[in-house]
Amino acid sequence: MERQEIEKKVKGVVSRILGVDESGITSESRFVEDLGAESVQSLELVAAFEEEFGIEMEEDAALQVQTVGKAIDFISKYLK
Amino acid sequence: MKLIVYENDTWSNLTPLSYIRPVFELRCGMYTLLERILNKAKTDDVILFVRDYLANLVRKKYKYPVNHVSELNDDLLIVDGKLLATDNFKTDKEAVYLCDNEIVYAFVKKENASKINGMNLAQILDFVKTLPAVNIDAKLMRYPWNFIHENPEMLKKDFISCGKKGIEGVFSPQAGVKGPDDIFIGEGAEIHPFVVLDTSSGSIFIDKKARIFPFSRIEGPCYIGEDTHIMPGASIREGNSIGPVCRIGGELEESIIQGYSNKYHDGFIGHAYIGEFVNLGALTTNSDLKNDYSTVSVYVNGKPVDTGDLKVGSFIGDHTKTSIGTLFNTGTSAGVMCNITAGGILPKFFPSFVWYVNNKFMKGFGLEMMLNTARAAMDRRKRVLTQEEEDVIRKVYEITAEMRKSYIAKSSKAKT
Repeated sequence: MERQEIEKKVKGVVSRILGVDESGITSESRFVEDLGAESVQSLELVAAFEEEFGIEMEEDAALQVQTVGKAIDFISKYLK
Repeated sequence: MKLIVYENDTWSNLTPLSYIRPVFELRCGMYTLLERILNKAKTDDVILFVRDYLANLVRKKYKYPVNHVSELNDDLLIVDGKLLATDNFKTDKEAVYLCDNEIVYAFVKKENASKINGMNLAQILDFVKTLPAVNIDAKLMRYPWNFIHENPEMLKKDFISCGKKGIEGVFSPQAGVKGPDDIFIGEGAEIHPFVVLDTSSGSIFIDKKARIFPFSRIEGPCYIGEDTHIMPGASIREGNSIGPVCRIGGELEESIIQGYSNKYHDGFIGHAYIGEFVNLGALTTNSDLKNDYSTVSVYVNGKPVDTGDLKVGSFIGDHTKTSIGTLFNTGTSAGVMCNITAGGILPKFFPSFVWYVNNKFMKGFGLEMMLNTARAAMDRRKRVLTQEEEDVIRKVYEITAEMRKSYIAKSSKAKT
């Protein structure tokens, strides 16, 4: 999957789970500080990414990811 | 006489309570099943047989040999560890005693006992089956709700048989007893002012260093374990067995708490069995009676089993936590180390180690973080998570993975 497509899907998931406008999400956006993710929403994001991309992520490492851009990188590794 | 106490492959019918302990450590009345068996067998020469992944943990905890027999040269009693031993064992002749075709116990004379040397459990049980069979009535605790069913009667019997009565601790002059003086207050225990102990329907045993705070009402039969606190205003209804170092508030009825668990605040828990280091958030409540008064079913090994009982609450595995306002359905089974948050009508089954958030099953923050939480919770009660306990938890995480994954997968596909 192309990085552009991954980015589009990631932003779609983030928008849906965190209830923020997709246009306001950038690669630099931080889940907690900029997008207001609560700890429980972090869990929902991991679950939603797994469902969206059909992957199973290592939860400890996944929850260390702090920005949308890093999430795209992280998910890309599973899609190689 | 030598005694073998074993658990066989029926242990999984007692999950989630039996995931991280042998079945004979489960509590009914004032004692565990093992304590009862030892008491009736009147011997301290014991060998334990448990499933492989518990062996190191059990070896560390008890002074007895585990999963190995040798040097048998004495009469031998072999007992299923899920027996609620209420009668003395018959040791006048060599026989296997059966209940509904299941081995309850067997007695082997010393002349034959040596044949068992070096056998594994399956071989021992095969040998036992060759002995003359005698059918008996026995209480084999096959399912978690059996403990709830038997608990009130066992509490009454245990109070009589323990032979203790009276006050060794501090009983406030402003506290009162309603009913006969069938109470025991252990050394260092404190009964604060405006506490009512109601013995009209049964005895009350409050173990040493327990503290009963003001405006609480405790109804017998009841056992309150060592260093357990009953919080102000609690309503401890009839038939409760509360293990050591618990913090219990709100309303509790006909329930068993293994020990070291918190139900600090208001909320009703009834006809339930709660494991160790469980934390129930404020207002956590379980239903124990269906609105149509039909019998309650409970998930056992992934399938619903009809308990045949009208009143059945919840069965909650060790280290599971609930959020404020969690409302458990009638006959809920929640695995070990779950994290369950409130949200509408909850499922009746939670696989071990799941997080249930916004009506979805999730993996949560992972096993390592759960273990850290367990360490923190245990440290608060001056307990240490030993390597053996950690190994057991990791093994249970492994053996429950398939069930957990299937629930998480189904949940993520469901529409939100």
